[in-house]
Amino acid sequence: MKGEMHLAWSTDGEILKRAEYGGAVTSLLKFALEYKWVDAVLAVKARNGKRYGCTPVLITNPEKVIETSGSLHCASPNIARYIKEYLDGALYLKIAVTCKPCDAMAIIELAKRNQIKLDNLLLIGINCTGTLIPNRTKRMIKEEFGVDPDDVVREDIEEDKLTITLKDGTEKVKNLDELEKKGYGRRENCRRCEVNIPTMADISCGKWGVMDEKETFIEVFSDKGSDLIEESIKAGYIKVEQPDNIALKTRKRKKEDAIKRAKKWQRRDFTTLKKITLNERLNYWFGQFNQCIKCFGCIDVCPICYCEDCYLEADRDLVTGGEVPPDVLFPMIRIAHVMDSCVNCGQCQDVCPMEIPLSQLTFMLNRELAKIFKYKPGVDVNAIPPLRAPGTEEELRTVVLNSLAR
Amino acid sequence: MIKGECKMNIEYVPTICPYCGCGCGVYLVVKDGKIVGVEPWKEHPVNEGKNCPKGRNAYKFLYSEKRLKKPLVKENGSFKEASWEKSLSLIAEKLKNIDPDSFGFINSGKLTNEDLYVIQKFTRCVMKTNNIDNCSRFCHSTTVPALISTVGSGVMSTSQINIEKADCIFIAGTNIKETYPMIALRVMRAKKKVAKVIVTDPRRTVTVRLLADIHLQLNPGTDVVLINAMMKTVLDNGLEDKDFIERRTKGFNELRNYLSSLNMNDAERITGVSSDLIKEAARTYAKAENACILYNAGIAQHAVGIGNIQALSDLAMLTGNYGRPGTGVNPLRGHINGEGFGDMGPIPVFYPGFRRVSEKSAKLFENYWGVEGLPSNPGMTYMDMIEKCDVLYIAGANPMVSAPDTNQVRKMLESKDLLVIQDIFLTETTELADIILPAATWVEKDGTITQVDRRVQRIKKAVDPPGEAKPDWKIIRELSGMMGFREKFKFNSSKEIFEEIRKYVPQYSGITYDRLKKAGGIQWPCPSEDHPGTDTMFVESFGTPEGLGAFQVVEHKNPVEMIDEEYPYVFTNGRLIFHYHSGTMTRKTERLNNEVRGGFVEINIDDARKKGIRDGEEIILKSRRGEIRVIAKLTDNIRKGVLFMPWHFSESSPNVLTGPSAGPPSKMPEFKFCAVKIEIKR
Repeated sequence: MKGEMHLAWSTDGEILKRAEYGGAVTSLLKFALEYKWVDAVLAVKARNGKRYGCTPVLITNPEKVIETSGSLHCASPNIARYIKEYLDGALYLKIAVTCKPCDAMAIIELAKRNQIKLDNLLLIGINCTGTLIPNRTKRMIKEEFGVDPDDVVREDIEEDKLTITLKDGTEKVKNLDELEKKGYGRRENCRRCEVNIPTMADISCGKWGVMDEKETFIEVFSDKGSDLIEESIKAGYIKVEQPDNIALKTRKRKKEDAIKRAKKWQRRDFTTLKKITLNERLNYWFGQFNQCIKCFGCIDVCPICYCEDCYLEADRDLVTGGEVPPDVLFPMIRIAHVMDSCVNCGQCQDVCPMEIPLSQLTFMLNRELAKIFKYKPGVDVNAIPPLRAPGTEEELRTVVLNSLAR
Repeated sequence: MIKGECKMNIEYVPTICPYCGCGCGVYLVVKDGKIVGVEPWKEHPVNEGKNCPKGRNAYKFLYSEKRLKKPLVKENGSFKEASWEKSLSLIAEKLKNIDPDSFGFINSGKLTNEDLYVIQKFTRCVMKTNNIDNCSRFCHSTTVPALISTVGSGVMSTSQINIEKADCIFIAGTNIKETYPMIALRVMRAKKKVAKVIVTDPRRTVTVRLLADIHLQLNPGTDVVLINAMMKTVLDNGLEDKDFIERRTKGFNELRNYLSSLNMNDAERITGVSSDLIKEAARTYAKAENACILYNAGIAQHAVGIGNIQALSDLAMLTGNYGRPGTGVNPLRGHINGEGFGDMGPIPVFYPGFRRVSEKSAKLFENYWGVEGLPSNPGMTYMDMIEKCDVLYIAGANPMVSAPDTNQVRKMLESKDLLVIQDIFLTETTELADIILPAATWVEKDGTITQVDRRVQRIKKAVDPPGEAKPDWKIIRELSGMMGFREKFKFNSSKEIFEEIRKYVPQYSGITYDRLKKAGGIQWPCPSEDHPGTDTMFVESFGTPEGLGAFQVVEHKNPVEMIDEEYPYVFTNGRLIFHYHSGTMTRKTERLNNEVRGGFVEINIDDARKKGIRDGEEIILKSRRGEIRVIAKLTDNIRKGVLFMPWHFSESSPNVLTGPSAGPPSKMPEFKFCAVKIEIKR
C-alpha cells in the first residue's frame, strides 16, 4: 500500500555480513532480478574496491548485486543520463535503479520529455543527506582527521556530524558545518538540498528512524513499490516489522532538521547575491561567465538538457564559434533553458573546468521560478515544466503578474 | 517491449585524455565494443572530473571514416591495399641492405612508453643507429640542455597540482587558458587565495585578459633582456635569497657582475616594456613565499631558447624558488606522452633513462640487451634526418604540417628511397609515403604514458582496433623478427615491455602495472616498489653532478632572421583551445571543427588600417621560403608589427613560412620568430 512504512532486513547471511543497515536494498535488488521483475539492475560500485572512485554498473547476474552494497559517499555518477544515453532511455529493458533524490528527480524530468520510459523502471530510492567530492574528501581526511584516506572503510553523515570508520574499527567524528566552512564536506549543491527522501521513487530506503544499524527504514510511494516489498517478503528475501511511534517521530524530526540545515545554506549562498544591486549582480555573473572555455561540459552532463541538436553548437550560428570566452549568450541561454526544471544535482558545477558556480545560479533561479509558478521539478511526471508549456501568452502574463503582486 | 534489443554490456573504462600533456582522466563508456560516450572521472587528481573542449570529445575522431584499416603500398603512384606480410617484408628487405647512417626513425609523443621503448630498441639494436628523434625537437630541445646546465634535469620540478599552492605564478609566454586549461584552473585557484600572476606575451591572450595581474607585453625574441632586467631589480632591491644562493648554488658572482653591467633603459628600449613595470614584476615575483614559473613554446621555440630557459632558471635560483611544492621552473608538455618520449630514449642523444649516448652507454645497453655493435655516437636530429636519410620511418608524426619550411620538407620527403609511415589516419605526410601502416590508437591498446609532471599513468585497451590496425610496438616487433631479431623482441604484452623498461630506466624502477591502477598514477623518480613517487624535485639538492644549482650568464642575442624593410613583420604562431597540433584528430571531431574551421592571421588593427586590410579579408603572407593565403583577423590584442597564426590548418599552414633554426645542441627551429611581408590582391 502506498504510504506504508517498514523496518526491513535481509535474510541472506552473506548480504548481512557485507551490506549496511541490514542489507534490505541489496536483497530487494537481488529479488527483482531473480524473480524477473527486471532485466537488469543499475547501481553504483567502487572502482577497484576503492571508495573514492565509483562508477555506475549494469548488473544482470543476481550474484553480482552484492558487489554494490554499502554506501559510497564519494559517488555522484549521472544515473539519469546513463539511462537516457546508454540504455536507450529504458525503452527496451526493465531496470531496477538505485537512485538518490536528485537522480530520481532527473529521471522524472527526462520521462516528461519522453527521454526515459518510466514504466520500465523500478526506482529504489536511497535517502541522501549529501555526497562528497572525492579529491577534496581525501585531502580532508588527511588534513582534518589526520588519517590515511585508504584506511577509511566507511563514512556516515548524521545530523551535523561526519563520522569516518577506519579499517581497525576506530571511528572519528567532526562537525560537518565547521568542515564545510573550510571548504570540505559535502558538494555545494548537496548542502542546499532539501529533498533528502526521494518521494518520487517507488520506495525510499534509509536509516532515519532506525534504532540500531541492523535494519533499513523503507517508505513506499507507489503500488509497484508496495508489490515489490510484499513479494520479496513472500519469497523470503527480506523480513520486516512495523516502525513504532518513536521511530516515526525520530525520522520526521531528522527530516525537518535536514531541511532546516539546507535552508540555512540556501540563505548563506543566496542572500548576498540577491541583495547586491543589479549592476553588481551583472558584474559578478559576467565575471564568472568570462572564465568559460566553452567545453560544453555543463550541457553534456546536464540530465535535463536533451536536445539532440543544441542551439549553442557553433554550426547553429547563434553564438559565434571559436571564441573563448564565448559570448555571454552561451551560458545565459543554457541556464534559461534548464532553470525551470533544475533538480539541483550539481553535475554542471562538478565538471566545470573553470569552477563557475553554475549549480548555485541555476538552483537559485529555480527557487524563484518555483514560487512564481508553484512548480516543483522532478516530483510529478504529469506536471509540465512551466517555461515549456506556458499555455497562451495571456495565461503566462497572468501567472507572472499575480505572483509579482503577492 | 521489444526485449533484447538493448545491448547489456556497458563498461566505464578509465583512460587518459589523448591530447596535451596534463594527463586528465576520463571514463570512456564502452557499449558492446564501441565507445559511446565520455563521462567525468571525478576521482582523478589532475582534473577532478573536469575537462576542456578537447577532452570532453576525446574519442570522437576514432570513428572517422578516414581511419587507416589496412597496410597500403604505393604502386605506380597510387596506394593499393596489401597484407601485413607483404608490406613488412618489403620494408625488411630494404632495411637489411642499407648503411645505418642512411636510416632514420621519427616517432611521436602520441605513442605509449612501450611503443617508444620498442621503437628505439629496434633503431639501435637492429638498425645500429641513433638516428631517432621526435617532435620534442620542436618543443623542448632547448629545455633539456638548458635545465641540465642549471639544475641537472629538464623536467617539471613541481607537481601540477601544487601550482595552486604558489603565491606568485609567472607565466612566461604561454596561453594556458587555451593550451593547458587544467593548469589554468590551478592558477585560478591560487589567485583566488592570494597569488599574483605575471604573464609575458606579445599578445593580450585570454590568459592575459583573465588571469594576469601584470602583463609584460614584450617584443618577440627579447625574453632574455626582460628576465635579466628582472634579476637586476631583484639584486638592486636586495630581494635575493642569500641563504639559498649560499647553500645550494654556484656561479652567483659571475651572474651578479654581469647583471650590474646592464641598464634598465636598454631593457625598456629592447623589450618595449616600461622599466617600472619590469621592476614591479620583479618585486612581485621575488617577494612571494613560493613563486612558480610556467613556460612552454613561447620561450622554448627560439634559436635562443636555451638562453631564455637558463635565465628563467637563474631567476628562480636567485630568489630561492626551487625544491618546494608550487615553485620551480616548469616546462609544459604538449603531448599526452610529453615526458615519456624523452624518458624512453627515442631521441638521438639519450639511451633510455637519459643515459647520454656514449661508448659507455652503448656498452651498458649491449649488456642489458645481449647484443653487439650498438651505436655510440649521437644520431641525427629530426630535420637532419628529413634532409639526409635515404630511408625514413615515421610513426605518428605529420612533418608536412608540423616541421618548419614545408616546401623544403616536401621536396626532401619526395626524394626518399623509402618512406614508411605508421599512423591512424591519412595525413598530409602519408601522401608522400611509399608504404603506410595502420596503427592502433591509445584506446585500442594497453600501455603507459608519462605526463608533464613526470606522472606515469596506465592506459587500457577499451576497444579493438579497426580492420587490421595494430599497436605500434607489435608492428615493430614483427618487423624486427623478419630482420632476424625475433629473440630480442619476444614481448607478448605491453606489460612485458614495461617490466624491461623498469629494469633499465632507473626513474621507473618502483612502478608496476599493478601500482598504476591508482587514479593519477605515480610520479617519477620512483626508485622502489614501496616508494610513493616524487611530486617535488630538488628538495634537498639539484640533479647536477655536485648537487648545486649552477647560475648561467645569458646575454641577449637577436633571432636568426631579423625583420627588415622587405620583410617587416614578425611572424609567430601557436595553438587554439579547440584544435590540437596538425589537426589530425580535432578536425575530425565535428563539434571542435565547427568552432574553428580554418586558419586565420591576427594582425594589429593599426597595422591593418595602414595597409587597408579589412577584417575577414584574404591576404597573402610571404617569407623568404614560401607564401600562404590566409584570412585576416583584426585585433588590438597583439603588438604592432607582430602577426600570429594558429598552426592547425594545413591549407594555410604557418610552417610554409617558418624555417631558420638554432645550431647544435638544440637545433630548435625558430617557430616563434621569422620575418614576413603582407601582400594584398584584390
